[in-house]
Amino acid sequence: MAATKLMEVEDLKVRFKTENGYVSTVNGVTFSILEGETLAIVGESGSGKSVTSLALMGILPSNGEVYEGEMTFKDKDLRKLSKKEYRGLRGKEISMIFQEPMTALNPVFTIGFQLRETIILHFKMKKEQAHQRGIEMLQLVGIPDAEKVMTRFPHQLSGGMRQRVMIAIALSCNPSLLIADEPTTALDVTIQAQILTLMRNLKKNSNTSIMIITHDLGVVAEIADRVIVMYAGEVVEEAPVYELFENPMHPYTKGLMASIPKVHDVVDDLYSIEGTVPNPADMPAGCKFHPRCPLASAECTKIRPELKQMNEQHAVRCIKV
Amino acid sequence: MKYLIQNLLKTIPVFILISLIVFVLVRVTGDPVSLLLPETATDAERESLRESLGFNDPLYMQYLHYMSDVVRGDFGESLRYNTDALAIILERLPATLELAIASMIVAILIAIPLGILSAMKRNTFLDLFITGGAVLGKAMPSFWLGIMLILLLSVVFQIFPVSGRDSLMHLVLPAITLGTGIAAEMTRLIRSSMLEILGQDFVRTARSKGLREAVVVNIHAFRNALIPVVTIMALQTSTLIGGTLITETVFAWPGMGQLLVQAVNLRDMAVVQAATFLIAFFVILSNLLADLLYRLLDPRIKYN
Repeated sequence: MAATKLMEVEDLKVRFKTENGYVSTVNGVTFSILEGETLAIVGESGSGKSVTSLALMGILPSNGEVYEGEMTFKDKDLRKLSKKEYRGLRGKEISMIFQEPMTALNPVFTIGFQLRETIILHFKMKKEQAHQRGIEMLQLVGIPDAEKVMTRFPHQLSGGMRQRVMIAIALSCNPSLLIADEPTTALDVTIQAQILTLMRNLKKNSNTSIMIITHDLGVVAEIADRVIVMYAGEVVEEAPVYELFENPMHPYTKGLMASIPKVHDVVDDLYSIEGTVPNPADMPAGCKFHPRCPLASAECTKIRPELKQMNEQHAVRCIKV
Repeated sequence: MKYLIQNLLKTIPVFILISLIVFVLVRVTGDPVSLLLPETATDAERESLRESLGFNDPLYMQYLHYMSDVVRGDFGESLRYNTDALAIILERLPATLELAIASMIVAILIAIPLGILSAMKRNTFLDLFITGGAVLGKAMPSFWLGIMLILLLSVVFQIFPVSGRDSLMHLVLPAITLGTGIAAEMTRLIRSSMLEILGQDFVRTARSKGLREAVVVNIHAFRNALIPVVTIMALQTSTLIGGTLITETVFAWPGMGQLLVQAVNLRDMAVVQAATFLIAFFVILSNLLADLLYRLLDPRIKYN
């Protein structure tokens, strides 16, 4: 591997304080993001993918905490940073865009205010300079009439436009890492394609790494270099995107692939993985996927599988492969 | 502008209804003539006074007379002071406005920091302490609080004057008395409004930008939390004015409230009617103001 590692996550564990004690939603996740690459994290709701990204940003809800593991960003141990150092990183080195463009922008401030705010904070620019940079950023993400949009309020823009604004804000300080949590899920299909194209083009022109969180394998195929499949707070498979689609190994990944309907096959029933992601407060013993797994045998209920390296870049957590 | 005129026109029936209710109420609750004349007055004397004041006309005639005067800006003469009722009230108005504004400032100064703090420290001992205090503040009758404050800070420690309106020092205790109840209500409102806002996506976005928590809470969250708070508080003007009646009486504050209480006791009809008219005017005005403020604070509301 030639590229250097930008972010390294080692055995990350996150738990939440609830009325019934601690509940762990991320259980020992290990992965890294290389400079300039796009890493997709795939999984159903409740697999811990969003919590992982919030943990990296250091903005877990107040009842959540990272209680084990390491997060290293550019040789900095994120868990040892002071609050102030972490703030200096957020929005500047690592920035984030969210799933809901409708609610992710503050409704009472203008687009200009929300753009300038980050730029002034991290670049110590004057208001006029920041305003100019804001306009440039809006133009960069393909917003027509950028100057006018600066004076608009979020509700005056469409969902796609708002997501573009979010991307403009996130990229305004030239971050090394952009975390995108389901950035296209809430958008119309045509707008989805536009946003993905935009992200791909922006990446081509900068060296920003992207960590994209999604449950949509179409998005993965569209944009990712490498993929991590998460299930119940664990990584169950990791592979380059081409390899994963060609040769999915984990039964869960296979299930996800099979759930995509194909145009030329006429079927009565669409394939779906039975059951749901287990409740973090009540995890099954052994392999966490075994209650839903078509290949499960007696030993799957006892042995907790390790992540096995199948080749240099492909790893799977399953005793059956 | 069109919106404003529309809303002003809508207030006309409100005024008519209020005037009618007050007009009837002051007439069915007692006879001013028996209070105006000495007990030794003969029936004939009473009757002639009634006749000269127009109390012997049918009620609807009296009302129509009254209203036709009101429309011309004449609220009649005070039976007690023998001068223009409106003039007496307007003379007292500045004192009441002064007290109301000072109380509002006291309330805001207490409620904003406590409300925000209690939302941020939700379900901690501090939060319990603040919300408990708010319940207590709301439950405490203002006449009782006023007397307690006088006892403690004017009689025992002699920091503030007991009553009257001569200096800024005189304003402190009445403003605290009246402000406490409003602060209690406002604190709870800000707390619940902040709690709702702090869970919103845009608060997380603000954090993800690397903003200081103080900026996230006091600017991004609070500016949104303020929308319902301002609206509801502006609608509370009637509570505020009702509060001045009691507070002014406790502290002998020479305002409209004190005058109104006296006028009711003396059946001084013209003064009672004019004062209620003025109060109604202020309540309606503040409702309009609330509406405008709401539109100002929330850009999502469109001006028509």
